[in-house]
Amino acid sequence: MSEVTNGVSRRSVLKGAAIGTAGLVGGGALLSSCGGDAATGPLSFGARTVDESPTKQLKALVAAYEAKTGNTVTYNATESNAFQNNLSQYLQGTPDDAFQWMAGYRMQFFAEQGLLVDLSDVWEEIGDQYAESYKIASTGLDGKQYFIPQSWYPWGLHYRKSMIADIGMDPEDIYSWDDLMAVLEGMKGKGLIGLASADKGGWEAMGTFDILNARINGYQFHVDLLGGREKWTDDRVREVFTYWEKLLPYMNTNVLDLEWDGAMQLLLQRKAGLFFNGSWFGANFKEQSDADYEDLWIIPFPEINPEHARDTIDAPIDGFCAAANGANPDGGKDFVKFAGDMEGVQAMLDSGIPMTSANSGQDTSTYDAFQKQQLAVMGEAKYITQFLDRDTRPDFAGPVVGPALQSWFKNPKDVGSILESLQSQWDALPPL
Amino acid sequence: MASTAVGGKTRRRRAFSKKDRVTLGVFVGIPTFLHVALVWFPAVATIGLSFTYWTGIRFSDIKWAGIANYVNIIADTPAFRIALKNNTIWLLWFALIATPLGILLAYQIDRQIRGHKFYQSAYYMPVILSLAVIGIIWNFMLRPDGFINGLIGRDITNAVSFFGDDRWNLYVILTIASWRHIGYIMLLYLAGLKAIDPSLREAASIDGATEWQTFKRVIFPSMKPVNIIVVVITIIETLRAFDIIYIIYGTSAGMPILGVLVFQNIAGEGASMKGAAYAVILFVLSIGPILAYLRQQFREDVK
Repeated sequence: MSEVTNGVSRRSVLKGAAIGTAGLVGGGALLSSCGGDAATGPLSFGARTVDESPTKQLKALVAAYEAKTGNTVTYNATESNAFQNNLSQYLQGTPDDAFQWMAGYRMQFFAEQGLLVDLSDVWEEIGDQYAESYKIASTGLDGKQYFIPQSWYPWGLHYRKSMIADIGMDPEDIYSWDDLMAVLEGMKGKGLIGLASADKGGWEAMGTFDILNARINGYQFHVDLLGGREKWTDDRVREVFTYWEKLLPYMNTNVLDLEWDGAMQLLLQRKAGLFFNGSWFGANFKEQSDADYEDLWIIPFPEINPEHARDTIDAPIDGFCAAANGANPDGGKDFVKFAGDMEGVQAMLDSGIPMTSANSGQDTSTYDAFQKQQLAVMGEAKYITQFLDRDTRPDFAGPVVGPALQSWFKNPKDVGSILESLQSQWDALPPL
Repeated sequence: MASTAVGGKTRRRRAFSKKDRVTLGVFVGIPTFLHVALVWFPAVATIGLSFTYWTGIRFSDIKWAGIANYVNIIADTPAFRIALKNNTIWLLWFALIATPLGILLAYQIDRQIRGHKFYQSAYYMPVILSLAVIGIIWNFMLRPDGFINGLIGRDITNAVSFFGDDRWNLYVILTIASWRHIGYIMLLYLAGLKAIDPSLREAASIDGATEWQTFKRVIFPSMKPVNIIVVVITIIETLRAFDIIYIIYGTSAGMPILGVLVFQNIAGEGASMKGAAYAVILFVLSIGPILAYLRQQFREDVK
């Protein structure tokens, strides 16, 4: 994936620069005509993906916007890791007017720096199409909204129903840790990998940490740990790794060689029985074939501690922001408003790419079986978290937790010193 | 060919006309200004910022941190120690294996062994590629679903772990990096060898020197300016290593080296001046040995 990264990001930076200049020239003329949101002029949109399905979906959105307003939209795509790494510089330079981003801390941080356009008035217009929880997730620390949700996806245990049936279990009846172990044993008995895992990107395994910690120690402890109110050296954190270690014998041995899509291939190619990941990859299954997509199923990660049952889930929200430094911030705002309005959402749905939209206007009765199951998985959870790298400080998640989990995979026996080091690195972080 | 010209003691002093001075002023002044603005200013600013806490966005947020970033790196960050180890192995590998190989190849080609033209272009080919492109090529070759694993009939479930297994992944990377470095050194050395007066060699062979003796006693010492460049380049290439690792591992620290740690801590959302402190450490490590080496060389010259 990363080989695409540089070519694309560089190209789009250049393109962005060119558009930025063009936009500045045009900007003067536009000021006079500014008034309604009818003619906000040409704008550019930055997509945080180069994958086939989401691209198709976003292009459908852009086309619908262009058809409705007559504004031309330049579509700039960047591979997601590269986009993320460049975001700070991007937003301070000549960003696209509207761009794809994530809710929570990651949005709040940039909003605090004054780099995002205040979308409070957009929320006043279309806010009634969203549940209150989405509004909260879109709100900055100053109480204003800076984000328009597009879609959400749960992190759950995915499998092929047919493969579970093959080992003589009921695919819809896997609930507890013992059930999980039975599936893993069953897969092992068939010579298959039990749990497809990846951590080359340094973030994939964070999802497993999140859920094990929430299952064993509960939501509150998890949130407190990520907020620095509990210690990594706590025995309860150690317990997480004790459970994780029990999963290791059933995992593929090349965890550090695969990125998430490699692990997904293991499930897609029927080489692994289970895959713990965000449900977004359903689209990849559908790309493969409808039969593969229909075979795909998701359940919440099994219960470990009955006290916490299955009450917590990582369900990150993706969506859109408008850049304050864009050449046409009004255009950007107009575009994200369209994207958040049911009209834009419908355009994305019409592209045929499965999406669980944040907009309550999406009729859940039109959901396919897999989407309905995602909704059920969400419904079971009482507490929703975003994801480790969205729920804790960015200078801790990527540079500290990522490498720590990777070194744990290399040497699980080092868990004691790894956790001590995590704590001392947390303690050494600059004050916020 | 960049070679350090020695001598010039006999150069005449001459007065410059006014026009000359203006011309010189422009030709020297503009590059100097650009150099200071684009190289020295950022370097000094980085050194300054490495003693602060800052997210890299608003100047008003800069907070004095003293040496906290350095303490954090040296005392608390295990990745730093691994990176230091990896960079050291990298340096040793380049110094003891890749660079001597490049010199050997240059020597062989200069002796016009059969097919030397072919070898010359074959070895030089990787040098025209940027390290990033080399990373892309080898990633295609060696990743779990890549060409080599396909060739030996393995799929992603049992692929040979070229990049993920700690026991050898550094050496896989070093082999890839050497693929280019050897050609680079070869080219530098070859240019130097071509410039050597053939009569030196003749004289040596008339005196009955063996091939090895000729190289060691005659050719190598007379290549001194090139040798200096080769040593400096080997050190610099080691410490600035980044591209290949970034292409193959991203910023995930799957293979910690100093260059990646700088980037990991300063790019993206997690921007902190710990990255600046890494950059300063890297700078000191590169400039230290190079200055020491150059000083020693020039001192010998004075003798």
